[in-house]
Amino acid sequence: MKSFKYGDQEIDSYEVFASVANMVLGFGVLSLPRSIIQKTNSVDGWISILIGGVGAIFFTWIVAKLISRFPKRNLYDIGRSVIGRPLAFLITLMFAVYMLAFVAFETRGVASISRLYLFDRTPIEIVCLVFLLVLIYGVSGPSVALFRLNTLFLPIVIMLIFVLLLMNISHFDIHNLMPFFVTDWRELLITSKESAFSFLGFEILLFYNMILTKPKQAVKASTLGVLVSLVLYLLVFFFSVGVFGPEVTASTLYPTEELAKQVEAPGGFFERFESIFFSVWVLTLYNSAVMALDVSLSAIEAVFSKVKRTALAIGVGPILYLAMMQPQNINEIQLFGDWISYAGIGMGMIVPTLLLLLSMLRGVKGRA
Amino acid sequence: MPRIMFRNTHKKRSPIRNSGESQSNTSADDCITRSVHASVASIVRLLNAPDDLVTRFICGAEGTPPCAIVCIAGLADLKMINDHIVTSIQQAYSAINCSEPITGQELYRRLDKQFLSVQKYKTTRSLDEILVSLLSGDTALLIDDLDQVLLIGSKKWTGRSVEEPETEALVRGPREGFNESIETNVILLRRTIRDPKLRFDPYRIGERGKKELIIAYIDSIVHPALVQEVKRRVESIDIDDAPESGMIEQLIQDSFLTPFPLILHTERPDKAASAILQGKVVILLEGTPFALIMPTTFETLMQSPEDYYERWLIGSLIRILRYTAVFVSLTFPSLYIALVSFHQGLIPSKLAFSIAAAREGVPFPAVIEAFLMELTLELLREAGIRLPKPVGQTIGIVGGLVIGEAAVQAGIVSPIMVIVVAVTAMSSFAIPAYSAGIAFRILRFIIMIAASMFGLYGIILIHIMICIHLSRLNSFGIPYLTPLAPSYYRDWRDMFIRAPLMMLSKRPQYMATKDDSKMGSREGGT
Repeated sequence: MKSFKYGDQEIDSYEVFASVANMVLGFGVLSLPRSIIQKTNSVDGWISILIGGVGAIFFTWIVAKLISRFPKRNLYDIGRSVIGRPLAFLITLMFAVYMLAFVAFETRGVASISRLYLFDRTPIEIVCLVFLLVLIYGVSGPSVALFRLNTLFLPIVIMLIFVLLLMNISHFDIHNLMPFFVTDWRELLITSKESAFSFLGFEILLFYNMILTKPKQAVKASTLGVLVSLVLYLLVFFFSVGVFGPEVTASTLYPTEELAKQVEAPGGFFERFESIFFSVWVLTLYNSAVMALDVSLSAIEAVFSKVKRTALAIGVGPILYLAMMQPQNINEIQLFGDWISYAGIGMGMIVPTLLLLLSMLRGVKGRA
Repeated sequence: MPRIMFRNTHKKRSPIRNSGESQSNTSADDCITRSVHASVASIVRLLNAPDDLVTRFICGAEGTPPCAIVCIAGLADLKMINDHIVTSIQQAYSAINCSEPITGQELYRRLDKQFLSVQKYKTTRSLDEILVSLLSGDTALLIDDLDQVLLIGSKKWTGRSVEEPETEALVRGPREGFNESIETNVILLRRTIRDPKLRFDPYRIGERGKKELIIAYIDSIVHPALVQEVKRRVESIDIDDAPESGMIEQLIQDSFLTPFPLILHTERPDKAASAILQGKVVILLEGTPFALIMPTTFETLMQSPEDYYERWLIGSLIRILRYTAVFVSLTFPSLYIALVSFHQGLIPSKLAFSIAAAREGVPFPAVIEAFLMELTLELLREAGIRLPKPVGQTIGIVGGLVIGEAAVQAGIVSPIMVIVVAVTAMSSFAIPAYSAGIAFRILRFIIMIAASMFGLYGIILIHIMICIHLSRLNSFGIPYLTPLAPSYYRDWRDMFIRAPLMMLSKRPQYMATKDDSKMGSREGGT
């Protein structure tokens, strides 16, 4: 039984779980089925997702191991004690830039989907700007509030996915899934890299070590968060293939949104479920974007300890806005996303692994 | 050790402020003198000899010290003073043996032990305290040659009797409500909770008003840090007068930049008592029937005492209905705006046709239409409060006509809009906490503006902002969204639903009470 503390500013394991799950889910659910199917051309892609997910869980474990080795320290502090100040400085800044790019990508994604499914005349510049303003409002307060926000939204989001899938059961055609086990295992392995991108998000833990009540429990909670996302990804993948077949899935931009389009509310209570689905999905997208922005601000704060948070949030705004306006078309957005994914693999998987190995080799440990 | 983090720092009152404020109150005569005549004279002088000040000297035989009674007619019960105080002093005098003179101390001893037949009194030396007591209706008894003054409780003035609370009427539940007399309110609480650990800590609020304020809690339940914090904030209040507990609320709440009430108010003794039993703190203020309950979380805004008095099934259903009402009162007009002006495709086609047909003659866009109607409704509400009761009904009828029939027939608004406004209004009255209803009223307009610009997207973004705002709020150190976020699963039994009483055998977990269980499991029984 947890004891209550007045003015509690720390987060416990459920909040970690919800935040990691939200962060991972984010944009991935919408486009994952397509990006996998495009490579594997058959339902066997689920193996790639599984491999990606298991890999993500492994790296989540590494990140969690790393932070529990250094309680109450963030990436910069850990880096300083393991590889020295200059390198730590560089890594932390890179991390901040990576997270900022992620925010820009996510915001741009929100805008382009809203263009497709919500309103077709409002310019994406405005849609992005409004989203960015709400993001800045979100990060100008304490981080704990954002974790609480995640716990509020996660049940809604998971429920929404299940509603989506349940409503599509009648469209599900088992023949669309066949044939299976036809893809070459090498191809599956290569494709799993694709899914690994979608599982990024657990690396936020590197900066919230400070406010974790029990870093030991964070391992379990964050692994569980990734696991939940893995299950949801697999479900969504099977459904998109089952409903649309591999060929159609490969050629639609956001298969999950298309699934929502298939839904017909019983009794004709409302039409165009996809608009409602996207509107509510904005909650998750917002959550992962705001967490990422918060992490990047924390990273900048860790390096330059004198900056004020609100000023920083407002200062970063215009840069972000410029960054998210750079891609000119869908292809460029895709390319942007790919870069971010590579950066994510570097920052979320390779860097923590190296840090953990080095700290183990050199026997460095953090004090509480 | 619990940490306390509060954002607003209440400054301690600087002692310099008082000096030179009133010309007569100087430090030289802060205390009374031994001479009864001089003391009475200084009291009279300090009050500038008003007409309603009653001073009466009583003398015994030669050699006995004289006494004086000072009170203010109208505030004090003169009959009680005559029957009990004066009579007992005269008895004391007549019992004194004339041959041996006695001192004032001795007379006081005899009065105290033998003769004085009053229930409550205290002694003091401070002139300030005497004045405040006099002005609150007490009687001062001064004895020559004694360096103390007896302050005898003799308050009596006409006030309201205990009536049914108008703002929080229930179908089933006690009909008693607090009234303006703090003594009555304390008694009402005492009659509900007969716990020897029930504490009433008195304070004086207001540099000039000197209102009595009482902090009520149960010592063996409440978390000590909470009481400490409430006391700290109350002590830091520096204000001329607090005519209503609403002012106390604004001065001690955690943040003033929020539409949401961080402290709940109630007129119902049963509600206040159950809050005390949950480990919360209640503040009573003289002169107002509204007690303050703190800390307050979002879930408590949705609770009504009746949830617990009726059986759990209907209690739960009604609670779910209230949450729906919150959603409707927040978003219904904005959903109308968003659907009509942005996402016509979302409306089922048949309904879309009838909406389009109804809006045929309406010259305004949906936003203007919605704003017009909502503003009319708010106007109607405000006018309804202001008007005397007999006229109030007229306003209801006239207003109903204006927003109903006439506006539609004149082609200013569509009939659908009338339905939207009506449903919104009904939902906003279904929220038990009046102050919470106000918050939703304000936010409704903000969401309407957002919806008129960005449709559903705007509505969702504003909702996100409201959620962020809510998760940032604290009420006396307790996050506002407790027990939802941070999660206290045990308390979920009493959040969206009201579980059967047998399952609610514990006090709220988030209150971190000293004594956790409130029924059943105490003696190991069920």
